[in-house]
Amino acid sequence: MSEPADTRDLMPGPGPVSLYVHVPFCVLKCAYCDFHSAPLPAEPGIADHFAWAVAEGAAHWAALGALDDVVSIYVGGGTPTTLGESLVTLLDGIRDCARVRAGAEVTVESNPDTTDPATAARLVASGVTRFSLGVQSFDDEVLRTLGRCHDAARAARAATELASTGAHLSLDLMCGVPGQTLASWRDTLERAIATGAGHVSVYPLAVEHGTVLADRLASGAIGEPDPDLAAEMMALAEALLGEAGLARYEVASYARAGERAVHNSGYWTGRPYLGIGPSAASMVSAETFAAAVRCEAWGDPGVAGIGRTVTELPDGAARVRFTRSADTVAFLRKPVGPPEDVEFLTAPEAAAEDAMLGLRLAEGITDRLAEEAGACEALAGLAAQGLVEHAGGRWRVTPAGWLLGNEVFAAVWNAGARRGLA
Amino acid sequence: MSQATHIRNFSIIAHIDHGKSTLADRVLELTHTVADRDMVEQVLDSMDIERERGITIKAQAVRVLYTAEDGETYQFNLIDTPGHVDFTYEVSRSLQACEGAILVVDAAQGVEAQTVANAIMAMNAELEIIPLINKIDLPAADPERVRHEIEEGLAIPADEAVLASGKTGQGVRDALEAVIRRVPPPEGDPDAPLKALIFDSYFDTYRGVVALVRIIDGSISKGEKIRMMATNTVTDVEEVGVRRPANLPVDELAFGEVGYLITGLKDPALVKVGDTITLAKNGAAEPLPGYREVKPMVFTGLFPIDGDQYPDLRDALDKLTLNDPALIYEPESSHALGFGFRVGFLGLLHMEVIKERLEREFDLDLLATAPSVEYHVFTTKGERLIVHSPQDMPEPSAIERIEEPYLKATVLVPPDHVGAVMELSESRRATFKDMQYLSATTVEMHYEIPLSELIMDFFDQLKSRTRGYASLDYEYIGYQPGKLVKLDILLAGKPVDALSFIVHRDKAYQRGRVLTEKLREIIPRQMFEVPIQAAIGGKILARETVRAKRKDVLAKCYGGDITRKRKLLEKQKKGKKRMKNVGNVEVPQDAFMAILKVDE
Ligand SMILES: Nc1nc2c(ncn2[C@@H]2O[C@H](COP(=O)(O)OP(=O)(O)OP(=O)(O)O)[C@@H](O)[C@H]2O)c(=O)[nH]1
Ligand code: SF4
Ligand SMILES: [Mg+2]
Repeated sequence: MSEPADTRDLMPGPGPVSLYVHVPFCVLKCAYCDFHSAPLPAEPGIADHFAWAVAEGAAHWAALGALDDVVSIYVGGGTPTTLGESLVTLLDGIRDCARVRAGAEVTVESNPDTTDPATAARLVASGVTRFSLGVQSFDDEVLRTLGRCHDAARAARAATELASTGAHLSLDLMCGVPGQTLASWRDTLERAIATGAGHVSVYPLAVEHGTVLADRLASGAIGEPDPDLAAEMMALAEALLGEAGLARYEVASYARAGERAVHNSGYWTGRPYLGIGPSAASMVSAETFAAAVRCEAWGDPGVAGIGRTVTELPDGAARVRFTRSADTVAFLRKPVGPPEDVEFLTAPEAAAEDAMLGLRLAEGITDRLAEEAGACEALAGLAAQGLVEHAGGRWRVTPAGWLLGNEVFAAVWNAGARRGLA
Repeated sequence: MSQATHIRNFSIIAHIDHGKSTLADRVLELTHTVADRDMVEQVLDSMDIERERGITIKAQAVRVLYTAEDGETYQFNLIDTPGHVDFTYEVSRSLQACEGAILVVDAAQGVEAQTVANAIMAMNAELEIIPLINKIDLPAADPERVRHEIEEGLAIPADEAVLASGKTGQGVRDALEAVIRRVPPPEGDPDAPLKALIFDSYFDTYRGVVALVRIIDGSISKGEKIRMMATNTVTDVEEVGVRRPANLPVDELAFGEVGYLITGLKDPALVKVGDTITLAKNGAAEPLPGYREVKPMVFTGLFPIDGDQYPDLRDALDKLTLNDPALIYEPESSHALGFGFRVGFLGLLHMEVIKERLEREFDLDLLATAPSVEYHVFTTKGERLIVHSPQDMPEPSAIERIEEPYLKATVLVPPDHVGAVMELSESRRATFKDMQYLSATTVEMHYEIPLSELIMDFFDQLKSRTRGYASLDYEYIGYQPGKLVKLDILLAGKPVDALSFIVHRDKAYQRGRVLTEKLREIIPRQMFEVPIQAAIGGKILARETVRAKRKDVLAKCYGGDITRKRKLLEKQKKGKKRMKNVGNVEVPQDAFMAILKVDE
């Protein structure tokens, strides 16, 4: 199920949209994790309560007409499967109010320790089409360094269980982990291929400030990650996965034919998305945002006093990105409310952003978008450095450009953003 | 001649950190000069940099009124001076405005190198010296030992030395009584034509140049027409006043007094420190001797990171030279760095302070190149060239010989650290001259050392190798020939003029190797491999490589990440702006100073 790369639409109004749900619960915090997640509170009924809150949030957007053509739903986290059967309630609640396109992609993220065949089957029966499983590695030593609460065998079993539901399967893998060898990485890739998963994401480890991993690195308990080795691992992933029919279509994403992630592709092609749940991000047109601003529920930050009230859009705003507060309790009390962070982009800025994100894709971007983004000169400069190439009316990254993406993204964004209103 | 019997003018002098400014605090308190609520520690250190670094950079004159034990009220004009060797000229200027000096000596540290240097300066200026043993509250205080060091080492009688603590206030009154008793009142001729010495000045945005003066003969008041004798500038007196320490206007300054004077002149060049002011009509015939000119010793290139700031940098330097005659500058251009100035300083601290003040007070972003000294180059054609910058060094074949400035360095150190000093000095081309025991606890060692060696991290090394016990003072003695060569640094195959430096031939290989290693650590990985080479006249001595960056990509980029990651890219770009693009290689500021940190 692939989406053409230039379905970019700046002013979507009513049009295709993606829905993201953030479930902020995990069994245990991984050592490298800086996502918004915490253990599921022990209160009885909390999982159902969360599911209802999400349904209420969806109903709010549906009432504004923003969910008239949902092409993908992604339930991520955290670990959504910590909600167990309540996930079914959550998805049903969304379907009750949103118009979900026939054949839409509905993905649920899972971790090996919370994967359970019965729940998986029930989810598929209620419309889930795809699972994304956080394997990270098939090497127990590496899993320990990452502070994951499962071993390689459990991960392999979870992959089999999910695959047997008939849903599409994607695996997340990590390279560049301190102590991880090329041999270990090769083994992980081979075992990932052997699961038959149609989609694989490969992330080099990024050590984020304030994580357990960062502390252990600082104290010298584990060695520094080697960026050159990580580069080699990324190259190996491209080679092995490619041979196995999983072609790289984005910086970190590999898929067999017809298995590209519809939902994720939306992020790189400018498709609007609505996020529901603590810390969830949304991106909508200025019109949709203006409609939300007029809602009563947004005028009142609510009991927890969270969020900020926006009354006016700045001149020239074409696109709005906003984030809910990360406070789970506040979300449960008041699923519909004003965002905490809001960012307005002008049309040229939005174009620059789309160009930057579009260059993450194998297809790259069209000449037209490059022009709208004001990035032609910057792209020519990058081409001279061998980071991008131009052919058939499109700009795309070269193999070197995949690894040095930040050079490309920064040049394109900074070239385009200069023309924004700022 | 008459005496201004109730005036005493004195400076407070000492080695760095011996407690001059803190002592001044207590004097200001005791005399109720500063209101309690305005009192802070080292209140006279008013510049931001002084407060942050906890040191005095500018001498500060202040007037206090002291009611003595004899019941009389005296006018004290006291000047708190800096202790760091780079600012010695501030001390010497201040001494000219005084009849006495309080020589502060830390009761635990004892006599150190600038104690000796400042004491000698005060003796040469024929001032009455009052030794004061300070910080006697410290557990490690050993006043008897220090008394001994003052007597033996400085030949200053110390049986009457004041024992004091600037911290507790103990002994401060004794010090002021000693000033009245021992410092002679100023002498002068009230009826002679005005003679006033400009001993300092500064620029005020609203009032123009403010001159600090000591009246030698006659008097001066508002509205009079005066003449600056050296610049032959005639102007009106807009205001006269005294510093308490804020400016307080008065009607008149009479002979013996210290105060300030505002003329409305805006051009700093017309009001020269060291010049004599007299009346426009019937003025004095002869000016006062004035000051010996201070000569900068180290030179560095200062370049605006953003080339558009070049004119602003020039204006800023103009303003700072006003009360810093030691600062000189001339335009310089570099292939690598564009247009800037070659600026002369008295030492590295002076350089750091000026660079910081330029950046802060004038909102500039500057890049400094490694300091160099003034070389005298004799060419085969028989010319003598003055070379301040390695890039002006002629080709080796055109050079007959090079001479470099030498210093007489004085190191004071406890006897058990003598070996460490010897070892360090030897590695820095210093020639040992002699040494003597100042007392049983202090040895004074004399060396002749090339200035270029001293401005490398000599002082840091001296401190660390003697566990902080050694102190250093130096003075310029003259030029001596040396086997010197210019070492070029090449980045990506191209020589970078701003990175080249001059070094003794026997050390070229070693320094080149260490420096290329250092640069490899400092220069971030770029999109391409960057070879770093050290060469003399085309011959490569050392080579290192900054490997090309292989991976730099934000792999995860979904909905919530986008804004955050984009900001990260913007931040990276800002970071790059702090670097200088030299032939496509991004070079951070530290790279230009790396040569100073070449520890052997
Ligand atoms: N215990 C103790 N500490 C003191 C005394 N006087 C000064 N200090 C401390 O010594 C340090 C230096 O004091 P300053 O007054 O700044 O010294 P200074 O001689 O003016 O220093 P420069 O102007 O930089 O040469 C500060 O940390 C003071 O707090 C004292 O009598 N007793
Ligand atoms: S499973 Fe994911 S969200 Fe949960 S703690 Fe681990 S890394 Fe964080
Ligand atoms: Mg001081």
